[in-house]
Amino acid sequence: MAEIRIKNLHKEFGVGDDKVVALEDVNLDISGHSFVSIVGPSGCGKSTLLNILTGIETPTNGTVEITSDGHVAAPGYVFQAARLLPWRTVTDNLLFVQEDRSEGTKERCQRYLEMVQLGDKGDKFPGELSGGMQQRVGIARAFSIEPDVLFMDEPFSHLDAITARALRRELHHMWDETKKMVVFVTHDVGEAVELSNRILVFAKGGRLEDDIQIDLPFPRDPADDEVAVAKAHVLRKFEELDLLAS
Amino acid sequence: MTTTETDSATTETPPAARVTEEELARKARRSELTSRWFWRILSYVAVLAIWEFALLDIFSFLRGSPLDPKLLPGPSEVVATFFEIWGEGTMPAAFQATLTRIAVGFGLSFLIGAMIGILMQSKWFEGFFKDAVLISLSAPGLIWVLITAIIFGNRPLGPTIAIILTTFALVTVNVSEGIRALPKDLIDMAKSFQVNVFKRNRQIVIPHLAPYLFTGLRFGFSIAWKVTVLTEVFSSSAGIGFEMRISAVLFDMSEFLTWILAFFFFALFLEKVVLEAIERRYFRWRQAVTAT
Repeated sequence: MAEIRIKNLHKEFGVGDDKVVALEDVNLDISGHSFVSIVGPSGCGKSTLLNILTGIETPTNGTVEITSDGHVAAPGYVFQAARLLPWRTVTDNLLFVQEDRSEGTKERCQRYLEMVQLGDKGDKFPGELSGGMQQRVGIARAFSIEPDVLFMDEPFSHLDAITARALRRELHHMWDETKKMVVFVTHDVGEAVELSNRILVFAKGGRLEDDIQIDLPFPRDPADDEVAVAKAHVLRKFEELDLLAS
Repeated sequence: MTTTETDSATTETPPAARVTEEELARKARRSELTSRWFWRILSYVAVLAIWEFALLDIFSFLRGSPLDPKLLPGPSEVVATFFEIWGEGTMPAAFQATLTRIAVGFGLSFLIGAMIGILMQSKWFEGFFKDAVLISLSAPGLIWVLITAIIFGNRPLGPTIAIILTTFALVTVNVSEGIRALPKDLIDMAKSFQVNVFKRNRQIVIPHLAPYLFTGLRFGFSIAWKVTVLTEVFSSSAGIGFEMRISAVLFDMSEFLTWILAFFFFALFLEKVVLEAIERRYFRWRQAVTAT
């Protein structure tokens, strides 16, 4: 069971007059099979938080612990762009991030490719696939290392609405099936409401303004009244914080 | 799951329609390829026909044909001489001498050029090498051929240095461009997935640099090839260029043209067969990118 514990997290960039506070005193616990979305306007520190969680940046103050059953958790990543090696086939792209190339590993990679409905595309090069398919490969790659936690940074923001919607459904199924923890950064409130059971709203200046539980059943259709109400609720929070203006 | 179905419906056509579509596309590609080859071959036929025709006796009313067969033998005669020389066995020896020079000279040039390309990532070395690279790129190869011929005579060092001076910059420019364009997002991705540095270099850095190296290799080689033959014309006692000089000195135009023909065929073979095969084999992913 994965667990993220963030205590008094503070992050600043620059010094003196150029000093910018990206995150201010964030305290947070995430555990178990949760799908947590981090939403907020640009400049609210959501990317910084993800960078700290993934170890790309170090905090100015405070601590971050990511564990799984007492040991350090293995993370998986899905990026905004698919970030596939264009000179490797789809299968080799998955194998690239594995620790070995044993038969078992290959079978596992194939299983996750099938989960994103690309079971027959293993021999293709990324350049032969559409943008949506490439992002699916990125998702399969992240799941294929069977991580304890998955970090996703606006993975659907580059896709057209229909493809993004289909991929959201797939992602939900995979989350449901694999029982992984997902930390999902997005600026799309509708997307956050559709996928998550918990939404963290960040305000400018890097303050964690709200922590919203969403206990509606899955799958969630954006046209459903309850889902629409939940989305309106989160958007109202945004307005209260005067965030929509920015 | 309805959305997934719409998605696949938009990206894929039904199997039956796809087969015919693929077939049509293949047919169109084939006919395009055929006509391209037709025009290509036609250009050879046209040149050879005009050449042969100009030497015919029917122009005798003009006081002899416009071209004297002694000064410019016809294509049929050149082809006959080609097989004659081929039979004598001097051709492989001449090619061997020339190719060895290219291999040594361009091999060194490639290493030096790549090294300078790597060094030029530093500001200081960029300043140091910048003008040298520019001069090497813009100066005509003939200059270096003449200078090295004067300094080194027919010692093997001459052609080697001439090849290095004319080709290293091509490799340098491509290598430093490749390094500058290193895919940082992929390297970061690999780091996030805890892929070790050796695997990152082998699977990201080297495949990324390969097309740049290959471009340097291809252009560098085509220049090395010309420069080598030139050095042999001026100052050598073996090789294709040397054979050309001998036939020119003896006014044996048929033999001279034969060597040009052999040179031409070999260059064509390298370009069309060897290099393109390498490209197809190792850069299949690039065709995949350009095809979509």
